[in-house]
Order: sequence, then C-alpha cells, then structure tokens
Amino acid sequence: MNRKRVLFVVVSLLLVMSMALAGCGSKATPTAAPQQEEATQAPAEATQAPEATEAATEAPAEPVTIEVYYPVAVDAPIAKILQGYIDAFEKENPNIKVKPVFSGGYGDVKTTIQTTIEGGGKPPALAVMLAADLYDLINADYIVPLDDFINAMPDGDAYINDFFPAFMANSKYDGKIWSIPFQRSVVTLYYNADLFEQEGLQPPDSWQSLAEAAQKLTIPGQRWGIEWPSGWPYWLFQPLAIGNGQNIVASPTEVVFDNPKVIEAVQYYIDLSHKYHAMPEGVQKNWGNAPADFAKGAAAMIVHSSGSLNGILKQADFKVGVMAVPGKEPGTYATVTGGGNFYILKGVSPEEQAAAWKFIEFVTQPEYAADFSINTGYVATRKSAYDTEAMKKHIEEVPQAGELRDMLQYAGMELSCMNLGKVRNIFHKYLQAAYNGEMTPAEAMKQAQKEADEALSIFK
Amino acid sequence: MSIASKSISPASRKAPPWLPYLLISPTLVIVLVFTAWPTVQAIYTSFFRQYLNIAKFRTPTFVGLENYKTLLTSPDFHEVLRNTAIYVIGTVPTSIVLAFLFALLVNRAVKGIGLARLAFFYPTILPMVSAATIWMFFFTPDYGLFNTALQALGYHGPQNWLGNPHLALLAVMIVAVWKNAGYLMIFYLAGLQNLPTDVFEAAAIDGASWWTQLWKITFPLLRRTTLFVSTIAIIDAFQVVDHIFVLTQGGPSQSSTVLLYYLWQVRFEDQNVGLASAITVVLIVIMLSITVTNFVLSEREGA
Repeated sequence: MNRKRVLFVVVSLLLVMSMALAGCGSKATPTAAPQQEEATQAPAEATQAPEATEAATEAPAEPVTIEVYYPVAVDAPIAKILQGYIDAFEKENPNIKVKPVFSGGYGDVKTTIQTTIEGGGKPPALAVMLAADLYDLINADYIVPLDDFINAMPDGDAYINDFFPAFMANSKYDGKIWSIPFQRSVVTLYYNADLFEQEGLQPPDSWQSLAEAAQKLTIPGQRWGIEWPSGWPYWLFQPLAIGNGQNIVASPTEVVFDNPKVIEAVQYYIDLSHKYHAMPEGVQKNWGNAPADFAKGAAAMIVHSSGSLNGILKQADFKVGVMAVPGKEPGTYATVTGGGNFYILKGVSPEEQAAAWKFIEFVTQPEYAADFSINTGYVATRKSAYDTEAMKKHIEEVPQAGELRDMLQYAGMELSCMNLGKVRNIFHKYLQAAYNGEMTPAEAMKQAQKEADEALSIFK
Repeated sequence: MSIASKSISPASRKAPPWLPYLLISPTLVIVLVFTAWPTVQAIYTSFFRQYLNIAKFRTPTFVGLENYKTLLTSPDFHEVLRNTAIYVIGTVPTSIVLAFLFALLVNRAVKGIGLARLAFFYPTILPMVSAATIWMFFFTPDYGLFNTALQALGYHGPQNWLGNPHLALLAVMIVAVWKNAGYLMIFYLAGLQNLPTDVFEAAAIDGASWWTQLWKITFPLLRRTTLFVSTIAIIDAFQVVDHIFVLTQGGPSQSSTVLLYYLWQVRFEDQNVGLASAITVVLIVIMLSITVTNFVLSEREGA
C-alpha cells in the first residue's frame, strides 16, 4: 500500500513537472533568432528571380504548414467562411497546409502574437490585425514589408492599384507596403427611409439638414432622431472632423486635435443633444444597442459600422438608407475606413512567408473578395470585386452594398500614428470630457493636443 | 477513498522524512514558476525603460526609479488610485455584509430553500463577461431593466449609468457586488452549518435573544470565515476587471479606470513595459500589505 502511494505521488509529480517544463520549453525556442535573419534575406531572393518564384510556387519542393491568426468577434460566421476558403486554397496548393487560429477580437490577436514573440516563441506566418495598428507593428519589428512579394508578381502594380485607395491609406509607410486590406468597413449613416418619406424629408446633405431632420424625427420618450455611439469615440467622431475639412491625423507623428475645425466638429456633436435635443446626451454607451434601436424604430438614424448592415437588414421592416455622414457645407460628405488587414510576420521561414503571401493573393482574388463581402457585410476591398457576376447580382438584391462602395470616395484615413494606444486613449479621455460637459470643446482639445504632442515627441 | 482510509495511519508512521517535501513540491514548483518568478521579473523590469512600440526604446535601458517617478507625478495615476480605493472600499464590505445576510437567510430548513440558495449563487456561475454583457442591457437608458426598476421605486435621476462620469464607477461596483455576494455567501453558509448547535441551545435556555445570539455567538464563531472571506474579497476586488472591459472600457474620461485595468492599458495599449512593471509592483505591494494587515489584526483579536 505504502509503496503504491509513493509511486502514485512520484508519477503525478513527474506529470506535473513535465507539464510545467513543456510550458517553459515552448517559451524558449532557440531557433528564433537565426530564423529572423533568414526572413530578411528571403524577399531579396524573390526579387532577383520572379520567374523562379513562379515556378517554385507551382511545385514547392517541401510541404509547408502556415498558421493564420484571425479575429472572429464580428457579426458574421467568419470561421466557417474562412475555412471554406482555406479548403479551396489547399486543394489548389496541395503542398501548403493552412492552420487557422481563431481568437476573440483584433486586440486578442495582437496580444497573442506579442506575447508569443516577446516570450521567444514562433509567431504565425500570417495574421489579420487592425489596419490602424501599422506603426506599432513596424516599430515592434513584428512584420515584414510586402513589396518584394508584390514586385515578384507579373502585374504587382495593377494588383495593388485595384484596391480602393481609401483602404490602402493605412498600409503604406516609409515608401513600402506593409499590409493588404481584407476585412474592411466604413462609418455609415443609416437612416429610416420610410420615416424620411413620411415627413417629406430628403436625405441630409449638410450638418444643418442632418440636425434639422434629426430634430424633426425625434419624439421625446419614444424615438431619437439620431444615435451616435461614443463609448469608444475616435472612429465615429472622425467623419465629423473630416466633414469639416480637417482630419485629426496629419502624419504618423502628427495629430490635429486643437484646431478650430475639429473643435467645431466636437461642438456640433454636442449641439445635436443640447441645441436640437435630437440625440441622447453625453457619452453614449450604445454601440451594441444602436442597430437594434434603429431596426425597431427607436432611433430614426444611427451612425455605425458598415459591418452592421446585414444584421440591420435582417431585422428592419422598413426601407433602410445608407450614406456617408454629411459634411458641414451642403453637398459634402465624409466617412472613415476601419477594420483589419493581412500582415506577414517576422520570425518564420521564407518558405512560410511565401506560402502566406500565396494565401493572401488567393483570398483577395476578385471572386473571393466579392464572396467575402456578400457573406459578411464587409466592404469588398478591390474595385474588380464589384465587376463579378456574384457581386452584381448581390447589389441588385441589396442596393445598399453598392452604396457602401460609393461612400469610399469620401473616406479619410483612420486615426493611425506612432504610439497609437497612448494617443488614442488621450483623445478619448478629452473628447468624452467635452461630450459630457466636463470641459469645453476648446479646453478639451487643447489639453488633448498637448498630451498627444508629448506622447509623439520621441518620434520627431 | 478506500485506499486512503485504510492506509492513512500506517503510512504516516512509516513515511520517509522527505515525503512531505515531495508532496508539496508540485505546488511549490507552480508557485515559484508562475508567481514568485514573475514577481521578481516585474520588480527587475520596473527599473528599465522599454517600449515595445517605439523602435529606439525596444531594448531595455536601465533608468533607476524613473518609472516610479513618472507614476507618482502622473495625475492619471492619482485618479486611478483614487478610483481603485473607492472601488475596493465600496465593494468589499458591501459584498461581505450581503453575503452574511444571504447566508443567514438561506440557512434554514424551509421548503424550496434550495431554489433561494441557487438564486443567490447563480451570478457566481456566470462568467464575468457574460454577466457584464447582461448588465450592459440592464443599464440601457430609457428601457433598460435597471432604470425601469429604479423608476418604479421613484428614481428620476440620470440614467446614462455607463456614460456619465459620476455614475460609471458606481455602475461597475454594482455589478461586482452582485457577482461576488453570492460567491462569498457559500463560505458563510458552510461556516454557519458547521457551528455547534449546543452553544445556541445553551444560549436559548439562558434567554438570549436572536440578536444577541447572532452578535455574541454566531459572529465571533465565524471570525475565521470572515477573515478568509474578506481576504479573498479584497484580492478579487483588485484582480477582477473583466466587467470593466465590457461595460465602460475604463471611461468615460478614465472615471472607471482601476489599477489593474490601467495596468492592462499601459502594458498592452501603450506598450510601455517598464511603467507597466512598476504598476505591477505597486499592485503587489498594496495587496501584500492589505493581506498581511488583515491577518495580523485578526490574529491579535483572536489572542
């Protein structure tokens, strides 16, 4: 008996220890450093012999397995859709195995990759992360530029130029291209077209007409003229600033908060509640509720992501209008892009990076870009996707999808700069202080500018 | 079961001297690897400047107490400390008192008491993120359940619980109390059921009122439970911020940012490793001193 117990204890101890050791082992992969060196050499080879790469990709000598990290916290069955693409890709490329790793939101993907790399582990070859995270990822030395892959394509320039310029805005730095747009959205003004018709209103084309329409459509206690979420405010605020002719970001090291036009935009948002009484007061924590409020008629208009279109269309029993946010001057409009891009990571072998690029090329083909847009509600990232039969048919059924594309001409660049997390938190803090009336818009933006300049000063 | 009951007494007599060490070694290894070592590492890195998102500061540079200086002079950090103090002082005693009352309430042999116990305990089973998501809808202005209920009770104040800088912290505290009270109740309930009945019988014969029994017998006898419960409640209050991620993201304007949430922001949004380590050290020091004080005080009372 006694001996048996001791044996049991020893065995379980060994088990526990081996588990602990396994945990440590995966942290300290000794090959990480040399791999990084190889990685930087690889694209150089690719540029030397584009034909050779072509041949090589057709018949790769060794089977390659790549991992793709992908955020799934969106309003669509992304995991299922993506698995379908992976199956098709593997069929066409029998030597490449793609292993998707789905995790929560964009932040989770970035954090997982960060902890893997900083812990000395091997990152995935490919990941979808926020387009706006570009500079943080470059500074952290996590990603590789894609120019060598693009140049190795027979028609690389045509490929890149086929993406909507608004979506490429967050991909370029230092004369290089670092990411390929995939899962992208735009800020959208949804309006209840039936209500507009009933009240004899035209879709708004200026700040003034937007405010008046919102005012007219408000029924106190029953219906808001407009809901405009501001719990995580920079993104939905940007169309106001852009619509007044001044985006809040000017360069990777320069943000524009303390500017009369930006301050005027903040004031306009506040006026919608205080002057027109057409919008809930203060910071609106209604990102999750707004689409439902809109669909059930508790809000005549909402400002939200284009990604909510499919959900809203499913629930609403009225005609749903979509448009860019009107600008200050009549006839001007503005919006801003958002969402995630493909990044290829450092610290994996050149073969894996090449395979990752092949996968990017595959799923950004016009047919796939169109299919992805149709099934998820994201805006297709390539112009030619809108020439496909599937997309033409879809737009016939859901004309709003075509209107989302047309909004891209008014799109400005999403807030993206060095030290983004810090700068964004500063902006949020003071923008919300202004929304809640704790500071005047001018005071708030002045303070935000001061602190953001400080956070950016190290980059100048 | 059967093996244990048969072998316990002979084994303890014949056990080799190294057996106890062997038995605690798995725990010891885990504590060393996952608690002690990261603590040492946090203290070490807190003396360095390292930003993961700033190329020239990626490699750690020794800066002495610079990070601590930054913290002490940062108005943001002062606000965060103030929020944390309000959060802990506001949630811990409330949860404990409620837990005790719940336990008294359900510690009776009444038909259907199981259902009542379940009702108090059920918030504990829910993952914090799901619970917070439900509360997010409760807090909705105009038609949310929480506001509707308050209005029925005659409340006509502001309803924007999560967007109002004066209410957001209170809102996340309400969720924390709701979530914790049922959990802590279990410990009190277990304590109550283990109390010796003869003491109460004697007190009843002596004519002690229900209140006197509660105050003079039940409460002192549950002192160890209270010590345990208050310790884990305090630690929980510092450590559980999942609901803040869902409900307020620390906002509006930082008004519901507590220490651990701030730590996450500095580490994963600002990517400032050195400063995050310094905050970790501050967090550890605060929690250690509270726990030690708690134990010392209760030991003294017990003596």
